[in-house]
Amino acid sequence: MKKVIHIIATLTIIGAISGGLLSIINKWASPLIAENKNAETEKGIFLVQPEGKYYEKINTTEIEIYKVYNANKNLIGYSLAYEGNGFQGKIRLMIGLTQDLTKTTSLEILEQVETPGLGTKITEESFKNQFKGLLAFPKIEWIKGKPPVKPNEIQTITGATISSKSVVAIINEGIQKARSLKERGLL
Amino acid sequence: MENSTSKFINKLELSSSPHIHSKWSTKKVMWFVVLSLLPPLISGIIFFGIYQLLIIAVSVFFAIVTEAIIKKIRKMKITIDDGSAVVTGILLGLVLPPNFSLTATAIGAVFSIAIGKELFGGLGFNIFNPALIGRAFLQAAFPVAMTTWTKPNFSVDTITSATPLAAYKFDRVLTQLKPMIIGNIGGSIGETSAIAILIGGIFLIVVKIVNWRIPVSMILGMILFSGIFWLIDPIKYPNPLFHLFAGGFLLGTFFMATDWVTSPITAKGMWIFGFCISLIVVIIRIFGGLPEGVMYAILIMNAFVPLINRLTEPRTFGEK
Amino acid sequence: MKKQVSYWHEFFKGIWEINPTFKQILGMCPTLAVTVSAINGIAMSLATTFVLIFSSFLISCLRKIIPNQVRIAAYIVIIATFVTIADLIMKAKFPVLSKALGPFVPLIVVNCIILGRAEAFASKNPPIRAILDALGNGAGFFIALTVMGSIRELLGSRTILGYQILPLSFEPLLVMILPAGAFITLGLLMGISNSIIERKKKIEHNTLIEKYKDKMSSTHLSIKSSN
Repeated sequence: MKKVIHIIATLTIIGAISGGLLSIINKWASPLIAENKNAETEKGIFLVQPEGKYYEKINTTEIEIYKVYNANKNLIGYSLAYEGNGFQGKIRLMIGLTQDLTKTTSLEILEQVETPGLGTKITEESFKNQFKGLLAFPKIEWIKGKPPVKPNEIQTITGATISSKSVVAIINEGIQKARSLKERGLL
Repeated sequence: MENSTSKFINKLELSSSPHIHSKWSTKKVMWFVVLSLLPPLISGIIFFGIYQLLIIAVSVFFAIVTEAIIKKIRKMKITIDDGSAVVTGILLGLVLPPNFSLTATAIGAVFSIAIGKELFGGLGFNIFNPALIGRAFLQAAFPVAMTTWTKPNFSVDTITSATPLAAYKFDRVLTQLKPMIIGNIGGSIGETSAIAILIGGIFLIVVKIVNWRIPVSMILGMILFSGIFWLIDPIKYPNPLFHLFAGGFLLGTFFMATDWVTSPITAKGMWIFGFCISLIVVIIRIFGGLPEGVMYAILIMNAFVPLINRLTEPRTFGEK
Repeated sequence: MKKQVSYWHEFFKGIWEINPTFKQILGMCPTLAVTVSAINGIAMSLATTFVLIFSSFLISCLRKIIPNQVRIAAYIVIIATFVTIADLIMKAKFPVLSKALGPFVPLIVVNCIILGRAEAFASKNPPIRAILDALGNGAGFFIALTVMGSIRELLGSRTILGYQILPLSFEPLLVMILPAGAFITLGLLMGISNSIIERKKKIEHNTLIEKYKDKMSSTHLSIKSSN
């Protein structure tokens, strides 16, 4: 009996001390972690809307989308965070859209696990720059091996066709959802 | 009396088993294989230019030098003249894309011999085909260069530099059979011309260096498995003949899968080995992210060879 | 009575003699997964060493209090506490590194180096020795991961710690930053360390034979040394 009490007491004490210690550390760390996460989102929002100065999260559970205002507090467009499947795993990106949702302003890849050296080229400027002022109506299209001809077309990366196509598909799907929100007057 | 006894003793074999010697020495076999590799090599030079000879030369040179250095480090007899390093070097060169970088070729050849062969203990102990190990390494190391193809020399405008398999996978373009048989298509140096490969391959079978079971089972398996998909949906899946002549299948069939060291020794095992390779090739080509899968299929089945050998071990007469 | 080894040896053995990566072959998961760059290897091994030192120290202090029946449960609670602390600190102060290491920081809980040292050493030795042992093993892990990370980063992206070492004309071997490159590098490093030991053993062996040969010849006996 004494043995059992000893066992229970030791484990309880160790557990309690460890729990107490962790709660103290967590109290210190959690605001810092939240701040880091916010800073990251904020950076993404303004990266794809270069003129943006203020932003406001739109209250919807369907997608993560932000209204972006310029220095004079005029609405200049939206920043949409959306994710989907790439070649090897999830690609999470931030895309800047004009007010009427017909043009993209800029693209930023937030998270990806594509093949190093091939699929990871979607994070390079030469690919992302294609989305600056790109027509996204009715949807973005891609072309392989040739420079784009249509105003709503981008060129896929050699050797990373699937990753490039995935990015386009993710953006198209995200814009589609944003448009349906707008039609219902939620945007 | 004494004299006749010594005469009798002289007639006795005084060595340990095996006592039956094949008329084939490793050296002779390897040089025959080199000879049989000449047709694909020549077809590569005809279709892609004389530069391809340089790639093969670099590959062979580095294969030989690596082998010599490693044998020297391990204080073993230097056995370059058995020709196995030469065969590995030529095979590696033949499965590289035309106009490939010479530095990368050298890296691949060194890797083939050092990691693919000598690290396992040298000729006879390697689990995987050394040339394919080298190619797999290069494929992972330089994925862009390894899939950059050159237009063949006599190409008509309609033929692009893309390999038939890539053209089918990514653009749904089915290449004609005739250029694929002759070799006037995009692809690795030695894999494009079906005729040249068949000449070399059938020569090897006729002189009995290569057992006919592995090539036959692979070709039958390919027709069977790709035929099933073709019958299910002839529009979505290409026909069996396309699969047979496309990519590195024939080169792999005759020169890679038949490697003595890395293929099963029993007749039944050879049939299993060949069919399984074809099945994996079809699965990778149809469902995989890459257009071609012969290299991986052979490497995967190489790993199963000891198991196949054990499972197909012939029973002693009377044993249950 | 067990022979007491020196404090210096208690520390130093972890670096070479029982190096966690090359000799004990423990903690393979982070070794293979995070060493795509030198900085990742350094960060990972430092986080592990942090957990190792504190948990070893604490377990060694409590070794007489913790009942034998629940010792593993108690060790895991202690280890998990320090891992969570390390994870929270990294998330709060080094968000970029924490993101690069991904799930491998929380996974330190199940890293065999830590539980292995707790079971094999800290639970049987006084705190000072436990700390030295943890430091040594941590240093061994640190060296292994840094070397692996440096080799893979150098060949896979031409840099070490972000500084460019190889010229731009060197085409990076992408395979080195893929999982296959991790296995190749680890295998070759283990092979090298094993061959060094083999050689050492052979030399010892030979000197022993020589010694006996001298003794034998002095007693007028001829002996053939078989190498």
